[in-house]
Amino acid sequence: MVSFIAGLLDATVQAATVLLLAGMGELISERAGVLNLGVEGMMLVGALGGFITTVVTGSHWLGFGVGILLGMVLALVHAFLCITLKSNQVISGVMLTLLGTGLTTFFGSGWVEESINGFPQITFPLVGQYLVGIPIIGEALFRSTATDYLALGLLVVVWYFLHHSNLGLEMIAVGEDPEMADTMGVSVFRLRYLAVLIGGGFAGAAGAHLSLAFSQLWVPGMTAGRGWIAVALVIFAQWRPRRMLVGAYLFGLLDALRIRSQSISLTLGPDAPFASVINPIVEFLMTPQIMGTYPYLATILVLAYAVIRTKSDQLAVPSALLQSYSRETD
Amino acid sequence: MSEDTTLRMEGILKEFPGVVANDHVNLSVERGEIHGLLGENGAGKSTLMKVLYGLYSQDDGDIYLDGERLDLGSPQDAIDAGIGMVHQHFMLIPRLTVAENVVLGEREPATAFRSDAEDSWLPAAIRNNSLVQSLAGQFSLGLDVPEQRIQDLADQYGFDIDVSAKIWELDVGQQQRVEILKALYRDVDLLILDEPTAVLTPTEAERLFDSLERLTDEGLSIIFITHKLTEVDAIVDRVTVLREGRNVGTAEVSSVSRADLAEMMVGREVLFEIDRDAVDLGEPVLRARGVRATDNRDIEALSGIDLTVRQGEIVGIAGVSGNGQKELAEVMAGIRDVTAGEVVVNGDDITGAKPRTFVDSGVSFVPEDRLQYGCAEDLSVMHNATMKDFRDSRFGDRPFLNYGELRDYAETLVEEFDVRGVSDVTETKAGDLSGGNLQKLILAREIYRDPDLLIANQPTRGVDVGAIEFIRETLLEQRKAGTGIILLSEDLDEIFDLSDRILVVYEGEFVYETTPAEADRERIGLEMTGGGDDEGQMETSPPPSGVTQGSES
Repeated sequence: MVSFIAGLLDATVQAATVLLLAGMGELISERAGVLNLGVEGMMLVGALGGFITTVVTGSHWLGFGVGILLGMVLALVHAFLCITLKSNQVISGVMLTLLGTGLTTFFGSGWVEESINGFPQITFPLVGQYLVGIPIIGEALFRSTATDYLALGLLVVVWYFLHHSNLGLEMIAVGEDPEMADTMGVSVFRLRYLAVLIGGGFAGAAGAHLSLAFSQLWVPGMTAGRGWIAVALVIFAQWRPRRMLVGAYLFGLLDALRIRSQSISLTLGPDAPFASVINPIVEFLMTPQIMGTYPYLATILVLAYAVIRTKSDQLAVPSALLQSYSRETD
Repeated sequence: MSEDTTLRMEGILKEFPGVVANDHVNLSVERGEIHGLLGENGAGKSTLMKVLYGLYSQDDGDIYLDGERLDLGSPQDAIDAGIGMVHQHFMLIPRLTVAENVVLGEREPATAFRSDAEDSWLPAAIRNNSLVQSLAGQFSLGLDVPEQRIQDLADQYGFDIDVSAKIWELDVGQQQRVEILKALYRDVDLLILDEPTAVLTPTEAERLFDSLERLTDEGLSIIFITHKLTEVDAIVDRVTVLREGRNVGTAEVSSVSRADLAEMMVGREVLFEIDRDAVDLGEPVLRARGVRATDNRDIEALSGIDLTVRQGEIVGIAGVSGNGQKELAEVMAGIRDVTAGEVVVNGDDITGAKPRTFVDSGVSFVPEDRLQYGCAEDLSVMHNATMKDFRDSRFGDRPFLNYGELRDYAETLVEEFDVRGVSDVTETKAGDLSGGNLQKLILAREIYRDPDLLIANQPTRGVDVGAIEFIRETLLEQRKAGTGIILLSEDLDEIFDLSDRILVVYEGEFVYETTPAEADRERIGLEMTGGGDDEGQMETSPPPSGVTQGSES
């Protein structure tokens, strides 16, 4: 049991990192007013690009960098379509996800058999060697891949950037009211491009983490909807970096449980009262496909709670999300 | 041209597809004056100012500030040149604090990195390095010093503002003062105010005027856009009048009469006096008793209102905004639930019924915010004109609608109510109409269905003189036709001119009732601010005294 929980926590951390990286990118992009539904596609491109680079060069760090870069390239398309051409953000995003999926399936088919030396599990520098001995959580928290630690570090950076820097303040302003930002001499165009590119870089990083650290192999469509969960995670976190930490680990735990659901038995013994009623329900709730919907259900619940509890003008969604801006249109 | 001229705009031409918004307009502003820019809605005032603020680029013409030609590619250029603008719709982000809104775009670095910091732990050599300054300006944010500066500015001009409060926590008057602080913080020499009183109560407008006079004393020049002649009289030194994109002329306010200005503005004579014939009052159309309701924040806004309106009666409701008028109007129109009391329309108790029931009972409603609640901006004039009556059998058998009939009906409304700017009722969007014309369309929709009770909340706010005249006459005609009307207005003149009975609302209760003939304006003013009550409410709302004039300097 102890080893099961330790293993579960370890998988939780790994899965959470994917969501955390992709979610942070989505959060930045959305705070600047641009919804990016192309995360899934950007993750796949990052995953394959990173994987191929690592196979060819043998350097997983170089692979990670290429993954980030490719995510940004796809994001540049999104930025051009949505910011410069002012086309519909939803359509552009979905199109990019389909494009990313198609491209990686085609170009990735020859790389499925390959194996790599991905990110190794390392103990946390300095204090890790002492803390790793803590029962149950020690291994999960203090022996992980470098990208797991990096994601946590970046979360602090993102939080600081958004809430304690001028660029962050300007980015939030652009996402709340681009016209207002423009009248204050803030370049809406430049900041939105920046936000979308950073978002794409994070999505690419999430994908590269997936293929280089999480599973250390390439399978077409390996993101398996995690890009969409990242979009849900931003809503779950109510566009706040700190809540995203909680959400990413919660969703990561659900993901880890889903993968292990076959080996968990929560059914009651045949003699227990109502066993014949409860057991089928429990079994149904534990099927992997049903468990895959839990992050979305949790997001719906959070959204409903947020709407009920706060008045609409205090809702955390950036006011100008989905709105394109140009000066002389009113 | 005098030496004191600070701004000259010469031959400004700005065209939009199908419209010439500014047709070679000239404008010159002298240092230290309040220069009025007067014109009806759609006359091109805002366009001209957006050109001056770098939001629009002109198709022809030049702008000179203190003799230098300005080439304004963006608002940043205008800010750098010392021009500030307070927009008609506030440019504030409700979720951010006052200080964050004010410093946005100024790139204030963390305190330690400020080049003017006195006891920074960083050596001055590093702080003054341009690369370090640029990085600190982008990747850090220090609000302590700016907050102090904003507070000092606020104190200097007598603004009561908490710099760390979030914008949504402030009332409209305070938000406007934040807008002015935004400009002052950037050391502007020329301040543009686009219809600043449109959202203010008369008391708040008075305070604004005081502040503006203090600003001009300090040497600032102000361009004051308005379509209210009373305001021109009150604070403007010289005025330039625009009509249909052209400038009609510039005049010293002291040398022209109000009637002259109105004629320049509208292009014809305007009547200020309204004939109000006596009308016999009929049966009560509305009887409300003990009505209580809460506002959007769940705070009680109406604390036991009794109101009876009879056929052919206009009941004017006066009060400082935010004393329950909005809630009162919405409760009587059936779109806000009461927490206690009853609402009886034409003898039927329809308390708590759906808005549709109120509509079907003959209640019409002109809401305060015409863009948000009065119309569907993106739908056509036809859709908006028929929005309340499309279920009527004359528009076809359900579920199908007879579009030909709908169209004819909409065209009739547009014609009879003189709604301008409609090229095709099925094509023109309601949101594209100017304020006055949109208001006429809404009024047409609400009145043409021959209501028994009409609730008009601020029907003439923010519309031009021509439209005001029309709207007031329409209300009086409707009164003659036997409709009971509740008129909520912050314009006391309007209340006096139109009402048969005046009620003063204060903190969700009626505190005073009178008629225009007997009314004493001073008494009404006192009652509106809670000062008329003998039970010592003076203590809870003292007049805004304690403002220190700049005597210590």
